[in-house]
Parts: sequence; structure tokens; C-alpha cells
Amino acid sequence: MDEKTKTELLTLFKNKLNRAMRYYLDTCTRCGVCTKACHAYASTGQVRYTSAYRHELVRRLYKKYFKLQGKVWPAAGEAKVLEDMTIKELYDAAYSCTGCRRCMVYCPFGIDTQMIMSIAKLLLVGASTEPELLTMLADMSIEKGKSMDVFKESFLTGIKKLEGQVVEKWRSEAGETVIPIDVDGADLLYVALAGAHSIIPAAAVFNAAGEHWTLSFFEAVNFGAFVGDPTRTTLILDRIISEAKRLKVKEVCICECGTAFRVMKHLTGPQPFKVSSITEVQARYIREGRIRLDKSIVSDTVTYHDPCQIARNGGIIDEARYILHHLTDNYTEMTKEPKYNWCCGGGGGLVAMGEETLDFRMTSSSIKADQVRKTGAKILSTACENCHTQLGDLNDHYKLGVDVKFLSSMVADALVR
Amino acid sequence: MSEDIKVEKVLDLKGLPCPMPVVKISKGIKEVEIGQVVEAITTDPGTLTDFPAWARTSGNEILKTDQTGDEIKFYVKRKV
Ligand code: SF4
Ligand code: SF4
Repeated sequence: MDEKTKTELLTLFKNKLNRAMRYYLDTCTRCGVCTKACHAYASTGQVRYTSAYRHELVRRLYKKYFKLQGKVWPAAGEAKVLEDMTIKELYDAAYSCTGCRRCMVYCPFGIDTQMIMSIAKLLLVGASTEPELLTMLADMSIEKGKSMDVFKESFLTGIKKLEGQVVEKWRSEAGETVIPIDVDGADLLYVALAGAHSIIPAAAVFNAAGEHWTLSFFEAVNFGAFVGDPTRTTLILDRIISEAKRLKVKEVCICECGTAFRVMKHLTGPQPFKVSSITEVQARYIREGRIRLDKSIVSDTVTYHDPCQIARNGGIIDEARYILHHLTDNYTEMTKEPKYNWCCGGGGGLVAMGEETLDFRMTSSSIKADQVRKTGAKILSTACENCHTQLGDLNDHYKLGVDVKFLSSMVADALVR
Repeated sequence: MSEDIKVEKVLDLKGLPCPMPVVKISKGIKEVEIGQVVEAITTDPGTLTDFPAWARTSGNEILKTDQTGDEIKFYVKRKV
């Protein structure tokens, strides 16, 4: 690695060193409490997948370049030099961590491995060694924001085609727009994924609840956050914030996408609208009597996988149970304490990287497969796109024999007229 | 297949939700030579915006988009 690159990377590192980050890097006592908390370690037994091992890589660089002890007497401080080999190690650590933060809830000091891994990811971006695919997807999202006028017509044509399927789930009144778009002054802006499955059931439920809503032009998922690139993360986020402000909506509702929800909820700063997950919104409709669900639709035993970014890291836990208890009398919990639920093993960009990560995703998540199997449930519901894909892959790989379903689709299928 | 376009490779991406079609086309396009064309068949309407945005950022060219029923066909020419 040449000196210029090294200097640039160390500048990126330094910019990440806020108070919280310094606390995380200064505090670890290597007590080992977090060791078994990581699904990747619990499933494979490989030490390099423990959270402390992952952040020790970053910590040693921190000691070498940002702590006096490491600068003066590197050996005693276990300092590490930034070189090409280190970049490779950082890649392995960062892209085997899903950012689920299960380790954090076990750590007596609350050390946030996901935050520490954000340094590793940023250094990879700086060294142009991040997964190319994630950057490509992030750039595609940014391009859509820049050139919306060019893509608008095709977007509208695509959405028009979905209306028939929405009406099959909930018949709209004559003159009502089935999938409203660009409605100035709407109460709620729904930010879906680019796929039909994320739009059709949600639209049916909004219409059933009589919501004054409008569909966003943009997809919710933030590939910039997956790749740990703050500039791209902000550009992707800003498209939605500007649209929400332009339409003067009161609420931005994020579809079943954990990362999109976490990023929108925690990184937008004070805004003239509130941010909700679709799970929260649908629970509210039931509570207010705006929709009713038919319990006879679901007959098999149902369990629910709490997406890490929505439950542990987003606080949306009770709302999903509230919905499930209106969907079925045959619900079984996966874990006594949802906060400690095992990650599905697909977050942090791993699922988006597709087949490239499939082997690792399967071996590192056998513990999740066991957890699902033990419930004895036939229907495995969840509220995140990433989790849904990963759980589907686990279902095939470990022959779990479950039907993996989106919670919002179950709601749409059970609507009572 | 479109009458006037010589297709080198066909990618069947039907049933795949976004962003997987884009992930597949970005890999598939590298399997043909510069100047050759890949025909990608998708069903997810999200690809109607994803593909043109990807083409712009990756420097490739969508020669034609055909929609018949639920199927969308993109003819993508490798330019880089
Ligand atoms: S539990 Fe916390 S302090 Fe203990 S080893 Fe893990 S990260 Fe370090
Ligand atoms: S954040 Fe999750 S995946 Fe990453 S080290 Fe902690 S438990 Fe493992």
C-alpha cells in the first residue's frame, strides 16, 4: 500500500472517531461474554467470527495510529500496521458480520460491533476493495434520484400494471385511485421496495384502512448503508426526504426492509414528518378499528422472526405480536425474549450479494435453522426483505418445511370487508 | 427475440424480485463481448426503472424494451 493511500485511509478512520466510537474502542476488557452471542461463531465455532475478534482488528489499528502507547511502543500496545493484508482481514471481518447487534446486548459495556465494523467498511470503500455489487446497486439508486423525470413514465406504467392485483385483495370504490402517486398533501408516504410484492399487499391494506396515502417514486432500501459509505447513504436517503417534504406528508412509512427502516429512523435527524415501519402502521389500523382480520384464513401454526434492524435495533417488537394475535390463535414464539433473537444471518448486505455469499450464509446460520425447527411451526413470518430471502434459503438448505411469509402479506390476505 | 437485434445471450430473470434482476444482468453482461447484446426477460415492474438507471451508471445501453403481458424484455448492449 502506498503512503498516499495510507494517509487517505487514516483520515477516513480519524473522521469516524467520535466519542461513542472512542469509548467502544477503548473499553473492551476481552471478558468473552459476547463470544457465543454471534450466530456465525455459534454455528461454526470459528474464533474469527466472534465479535471481539472482529473489532480487535480495528482496535489494533486504532492503537497504532491514534493512541500514544501504540505510536511509541507498538508491540506492547498490540498495534497493527495498515497494509494490504490488513485490508483483506478487515473485509473478512466486516462482510461476515450482519450488524445484528446481538453481541451488543450481551456486552456489559454495550460495545457496538456494528459501529466498529462501519470503520472497517469505510476503509474498504476508501481502498476501493468493497463489494463492487453493493456500490453498483447504490449508484443505481442515486441515479434514479437524479434522473427521476427520465424514469417517471416507465415507473408509472409499471405501477399501473399492479392495480388489478391490489383490487383482488381489496376492491376500491369507483373513482378511487388504487395506487396513488405524487399526491400533494397526502397524510402518509409509503416507501416500498422496487418489487411488486412490496407494493401490492401494502396498497390493499392502506386502501382498506381508508388511508390518505401516496406511493414514493423511490425504493426504500439503502445500499449505501450496506456498503458503509456515508456519502452514498445520505444521497439515497435525501431522495426520500425531499419527496416527503415536497408532498408535505405527515408520516413516512417504510416497507418491510430492516435497514431502510433503521437508516430512515435514526439518520434523518429532526424532520417535519414522523417515520414508521409498516408493521407499526398496520398494528395501529387494527387498534383503531380501521381494518379487521379474518382469523380463519391462517390455520397452521405460525411463528415470527424478529428482524434485527426492526426489533432489537428499531424497538418494533410488540406491534408484530399484536398483529399476529389478530391473525391467528395458533401463534408460537421463537424465543422467550425477542431482544435476544438469533439473527437470520443475511443482513449487512450479505443477501444482496446473492450467490456469492450463499455458502457462508448457510453455514453461519445453522443455529437459526435449529431455532426455527424447534418451534414446530408451519408458517414462518417476518417483516424484512433480507430476512425473508435468507430464511427462504435456510428453509431450502436445511429442509425446514416451513412456508416463509411476509407479515404484511398475511394481513392483506386476511382483510375483512 | 426481437427481429432486428442479434442476441448473444438470453437471461431468464422471470419471477426474481428486485434487485436480483439487476444483480444478474450486471454479471451476465460481462459474459459477452463489447458490442454484443444480452436479452433479459423479467416480470418485476421495478426493473422498468432499475434497468435504465443501472445502464446509465454502468455505461451500457438498453437498445429496446418490449412489454408483453407480464413479461418485460430488455435488449442490453455491452458498451464497456
Ligand atoms: S462482552 Fe464486551 S467487553 Fe467483553 S469481550 Fe465482548 S465486546 Fe469486549
Ligand atoms: S453484530 Fe451480529 S454478526 Fe456482527 S459480531 Fe455481533 S452478533 Fe456477530
